[in-house]
Amino acid sequence: MGVIGYGLGVIGAGLAIGLAAFGATSAMARQPEIQGRAFTVFILASAFTEALGLIGFVVTLIS
Amino acid sequence: MDAFARLSDEIQELVSEFSSAPVVGNLTFGLTQYSFFLLVAAVVFCIIMAIFVKKQKLVPHGFFVNGVEYLVEYVENDVAKGVVGTGWRKHFPFLATIFFFILINNFIGLIPGMKPGTGAIGCTAALALVTFIYFVYYGCKKHGVIGYLKSLAPAGVSFPMNVFVWIIEVFSLLLRPITLAIRLFCNMFAGHIVMGSFAIMATLFAEPLLEHFSAMNALGALPSIAWLVILLIIYVVELIVAFVQAYVFTVLAAVYIQIAEAEGH
Repeated sequence: MGVIGYGLGVIGAGLAIGLAAFGATSAMARQPEIQGRAFTVFILASAFTEALGLIGFVVTLIS
Repeated sequence: MDAFARLSDEIQELVSEFSSAPVVGNLTFGLTQYSFFLLVAAVVFCIIMAIFVKKQKLVPHGFFVNGVEYLVEYVENDVAKGVVGTGWRKHFPFLATIFFFILINNFIGLIPGMKPGTGAIGCTAALALVTFIYFVYYGCKKHGVIGYLKSLAPAGVSFPMNVFVWIIEVFSLLLRPITLAIRLFCNMFAGHIVMGSFAIMATLFAEPLLEHFSAMNALGALPSIAWLVILLIIYVVELIVAFVQAYVFTVLAAVYIQIAEAEGH
C-alpha cells in the first residue's frame, strides 16, 4: 500500500519539476544570455519541489 | 523470480539500518553512527581549512587552494553579495560556515560505508534552529523587538486586514526552520535509501551466479548489470544533490536574513 501512496504523492512533484524545466528551457531559448541565471533559479525551484516528493518517499518508508 | 520476492524484506532491513543506533553509549548520551560521522566531518572541515589558510598566498597555486578559494568566492559573490546585498560582509562568515559544513557532511556520506551527518533529523533540525535564531536576532537588532514583530506585516494594509496578514506571516516564519530541516534530511536520507535499494537489487540478481555457475544463472544475472548502471547514474545525481542541497540551505538562510533586515515591505 505504501508504494501506491508514494506514487500518488509524486504526481504533484513530477508535474512541478516538469513545469520548472519547461519554463527554464523556454526562457533560455528566448534569451540565451540569461542562461546562467535561469539555470540557478531552475535548480533552486526543482530543489524545492523535489523536497516535496522526497518527503512523501521518506514518510512512506518510515510509517 | 524469487529475487523480487526477497526484495521487500531486504529493503525493510536497509531502512532499519538507516535509523539512528548508538555506537558508543546509548541514545540519550552517546554517539550514534550519524553523530560519529558528524564529528568526522567537523574534523575534516578543520583540517581542510587549516591547510588552506597555511597554504594561502597572494597568487594561489595548485588544485586544492584554487578549489577551496573558488568555493569561498562562490558563496561570497553568489549568495552573500547576490542575495543579502548591502551589509553582506557581516553575514558572510555565518553563511560560509553553514555552506562548508553541510557540503563536507554530504560528501562524506557519499563515500561507501560512511553515513552523512546530515542524514539524521536531529542534525538538520539543529542547523535550521541556529539559522532561525540568527536571522530573528539580526531582525530584532535592526528594528528592535517590537519593530521586528511589527515589520512582519507589510506596511500600508488597513486595520482589520493587517492582523490576518500578520498571523499568516508569523506562521510562515515559524514554518521556515521546519522546512529547512526536513528538506535537507529527506534529500540525504532518501538518496541513500535509493542507492542502497539498487545496490541490493544488483546483488540479489547476481547471487545465484556466484553460488553455482550455469547458463541459466548467468542469464538471470544479466539484469544486475542494468541495476549497476542505474546505481552509478544515481550516484552521480547524488554528487550533484550533495552540492545543491548545501547551496539551497545557504541561499535560503541568506534570503531569510535579507527579509529580516529589510526596511519595511
